[in-house]
Amino acid sequence: MRKRALAALAVVASAALILSGCSGASGDSSSTIKVAYQKYGTFVQLDSLMKKVKKEFEAANKGITVQLQPIQAAEGDYYTKLALQNKSSSTAPDVMYEDTFQVKSDVAAGYLAPLDSYIAKWNEWDQFLGNAKQAGLGDDGKTYGISMGTDTRALWYNRQLFQKAGLDVPWKPKTWDEVLSAAKTIKQKLPGVIPFNVYSGKAQGEAATMQGFEMLLYGTKDTLYDTNGKKWVAGSKGFSDSLQFVQEVYQGGLGPTPQQALDKNIGTTISSEWLPKGKLAISLDGSWQSGTWLSTGTAPWPEWNDVMGQAPMPTQNGQSPGATSMSGGWTLAMGSKSKNKSAAWNFIKLALNKENSMGYDIAASQIAVRKDVAADPAYQKANPSFEFFSSIVPVTNFRPATQDYPKISNAITVAMEAVMTGQQSPKQAAADYDQTLTSIVGDKNITK
Amino acid sequence: MAAEGLTAPRHRSLRLVSTLVLVLIGICFLLPLVWVVLASFDGSATLTAKAPSPFTLDNFVKVLTPENAWIPLGNSLLLSAGCALVTVVVAVLAAYPLSRYSVRSNRAFLYGILFGTGLPITAMMVPVYSLFVSLDLLNSYPGIILFLAATSLPMAIWMAKNFMDSVPISIEEAAWTDGSSMLSTLGRIVVPLMRPGIGVVFIFVFIQAWGNFFVPFILITDQAAMPAAVSIYSFFGAYGAVAYGQLAAFSLLYSVPVLALYLLVQRLSGGSFALAGAVKG
Amino acid sequence: MVAPEAPLAPNGPRTDRRGRRRTGRALSRSTPLLPAVVLLAVFLIGPIVQAFYGALTNSSLTGSAAQESEFVGLQNFADLFADPVFPKSVLLTTAFLVFSAIIGQNVLGLGLALLLRTGSRPVRVGVSTVVVGAWIMPEIVASFAAYAFFAEEGTLNSILGAVGIAGPSWLYSFPMLSVILANVWRGTAFSMLVYSAAINDVPPEITESAEVDGATGWQRLIRITIPMIRRSISTNLMLTTLQTLSVFTLIYVMTGGGPGTNSSTLPVLAYQEAFSFSQLGFGTAIAVILLLVGALFSIIYLRALKPEVD
Repeated sequence: MRKRALAALAVVASAALILSGCSGASGDSSSTIKVAYQKYGTFVQLDSLMKKVKKEFEAANKGITVQLQPIQAAEGDYYTKLALQNKSSSTAPDVMYEDTFQVKSDVAAGYLAPLDSYIAKWNEWDQFLGNAKQAGLGDDGKTYGISMGTDTRALWYNRQLFQKAGLDVPWKPKTWDEVLSAAKTIKQKLPGVIPFNVYSGKAQGEAATMQGFEMLLYGTKDTLYDTNGKKWVAGSKGFSDSLQFVQEVYQGGLGPTPQQALDKNIGTTISSEWLPKGKLAISLDGSWQSGTWLSTGTAPWPEWNDVMGQAPMPTQNGQSPGATSMSGGWTLAMGSKSKNKSAAWNFIKLALNKENSMGYDIAASQIAVRKDVAADPAYQKANPSFEFFSSIVPVTNFRPATQDYPKISNAITVAMEAVMTGQQSPKQAAADYDQTLTSIVGDKNITK
Repeated sequence: MAAEGLTAPRHRSLRLVSTLVLVLIGICFLLPLVWVVLASFDGSATLTAKAPSPFTLDNFVKVLTPENAWIPLGNSLLLSAGCALVTVVVAVLAAYPLSRYSVRSNRAFLYGILFGTGLPITAMMVPVYSLFVSLDLLNSYPGIILFLAATSLPMAIWMAKNFMDSVPISIEEAAWTDGSSMLSTLGRIVVPLMRPGIGVVFIFVFIQAWGNFFVPFILITDQAAMPAAVSIYSFFGAYGAVAYGQLAAFSLLYSVPVLALYLLVQRLSGGSFALAGAVKG
Repeated sequence: MVAPEAPLAPNGPRTDRRGRRRTGRALSRSTPLLPAVVLLAVFLIGPIVQAFYGALTNSSLTGSAAQESEFVGLQNFADLFADPVFPKSVLLTTAFLVFSAIIGQNVLGLGLALLLRTGSRPVRVGVSTVVVGAWIMPEIVASFAAYAFFAEEGTLNSILGAVGIAGPSWLYSFPMLSVILANVWRGTAFSMLVYSAAINDVPPEITESAEVDGATGWQRLIRITIPMIRRSISTNLMLTTLQTLSVFTLIYVMTGGGPGTNSSTLPVLAYQEAFSFSQLGFGTAIAVILLLVGALFSIIYLRALKPEVD
């Protein structure tokens, strides 16, 4: 009788196995390399690049299949999905699209493989700019990510709306107050137009921290992290001032409604609808914004360069150097669990050669990190906004390069959301942030 | 039921009031559903339920591609059918001794089963993810099918036992004396007699698995292996400005099988209360 | 009808005639239970054990703790209890349970079950189909439908607009109210079906004789129907509470737990901490608390109702 019960068990098990036989699960042999990247909303340029590289790679490497794994998720969810994938050896990708701020943290997590031995034999590595090389380093000083391009951030504004509201064009705000007063003028003169967008809240993830909060904080006298003392800064005036600014924008009716701002699709809405249709006057946004409007983008807008202007984000009170910016960028990295590392490396190398880098940098409006691309007339002429966004590189800042940064970034978005929705005052939210900060990095790594 | 003749006039007005209240509640329940139907045929769908203008089948045409609809729906079918199959087989096996023998350990087992029906599965998703990582089962259909089966087992065993209890034991007793084994008695005599009940359990489990969002959302990372529940979610915003019409059209397509199965279960059990009746213990 | 009308009633005949036998006999009789036991042990008890251990570590999705998590004792719980978000989340979860499950689904479900007995056939069929429709739909579709209904430019506000009321943005200003109403909408069918079945089992003679005695409809409900179905009521209260305790998708799609943490019930909070914020250990601690609450409810249910399992 027991035998029969076992037989029944076997039936169940084999039924499950038969089912699995026809499942869509992926093959795992080393003749396949998996490439994970983001494809979401208006961001389809990387998908095009990957499809092109897959074709080229498979033609040049007979017998190796590239399995593209576009992850359809907004920015915040993308990191989660990628991490969920990385944690298990059967799902970990061979090549992944990795934000520079995530590199150190994921190196510490053991997700990424060092690339130094490959780079040593790669004669094109000299073409990469120093900052870009820096961005791919792990805490151990080894290189883990190859930069695809970088970016800067500034104020995009609609010239036509500014003129209608009687504001001077070109716009050159000197302080935060001048930014807010322009927004107030628009609110008053142009009802129905959203004056000013600052990304904010948990749903926007790193976009809120970097495009929103840090563009403010790095224009005060304070920073997030004391690079020399290697300590995180708690209780700074700049921190609560920045939250104060967010509060003024949202509670003062200068921004989108908080409900709109907390919609995780707001980025898509802004670039494909609000800006082209003149529904939004100013957006504190990235240099890549125009990529959506090119003929290769998802929302082509031939007149964009006539309508949209750019102005550097001023420092809080106009103090030196007068303006500020933040730079980040994304890399291609290799998964440490890859079973065919040399194929993975060849894929990265191919994806970031001059031709492919340039194609991507143009399509996605990236600031080139390869000298040969930056110097190429085809690149320089491709997008009229490149000149402006490269010109603010001297005042740009980088995010604290530590493995704790991603968690701290989350804590910042929590504080922003609490303030923008009026649930907490900037002071309370800053105090809560300090508490979270302590629990993440510990008392001894904090300076007040 | 109530004696109509006794207080007829008052009864009639009462009936009118209760009908009105019923209709009102019905409308409230209907409104959110109406949006899905109307928007799916609407060429300019928004978030508001409104008459389609222009009326179009475009949304369905756009959605009905292998990548958008067929593959995810096929994945859903595979997951749900696999889960329902495993669950029914295991549940019927388990129900037999529980229904036929009075053993002390059965009692404990049944209490355990009832206890299991109460555990919040969503709360378990964090540890389940960790478990799947350590067993290397992410993206694995057998793993996910077995997990889904385990979560629906407590209720399924309970239902199967109740169905089996209503199968008279006298026929089996003859087989017992002939020396048939337990499993062959179960397979040849009991199962055919409780076929409709098994159908109800199968459909019940299938519907639950078909609609499950959270489990595949966490345990499947491969886009090609995603069932419809998850691909609908990523559809929301993945293609530029949200295409509400297409979202609604896909939602409708995805819901139809479940509605059809529900009607089938009513047929099988001869009454609309079968599901709730079976689970009310 | 094959469906058991009253699963709680004593069950069919059984073969006890052989009396007590050797334990070996009992064991072999239990072998068909084996597949079920294995599945439950691996996939239900396994994660629970994992949860109790995981909650005591700093396990993470990224950073060095992702590679080598450390045992941190009760640190996660200490952090959790010190975090003002936690009591708020407990409060929100309680409100969600009380208003959407205990009050909303049960009262409305009972009311519908009673009303359905009086309505004419087309009304009865129509209304019960619609109510069941909301329940039987895949949860993600139901969540989108509810989202569209309560959205700022959604159906609710356009109806209010038609009668001259400018509706608020429900999901933003009244997130808890929105998700509570949505869960009532989604879940009432279950209670309605359970109560309909229970009321059907009340012998009509009893209510009829009460009617002859001159009892009003209300009196009959309070004095006769409700006491007769009290067992179904307590069972249903428990089941709806437990189902509501684990609602995630509805809230996640409608409000994402926001704005801020204004609709972050415990399941949403656990997801956010564990996955969005990569703190697996911390999120697991929240999950453990949820499991304990669910277990507590289950035990109360088993003790209070003493369902007859054999």
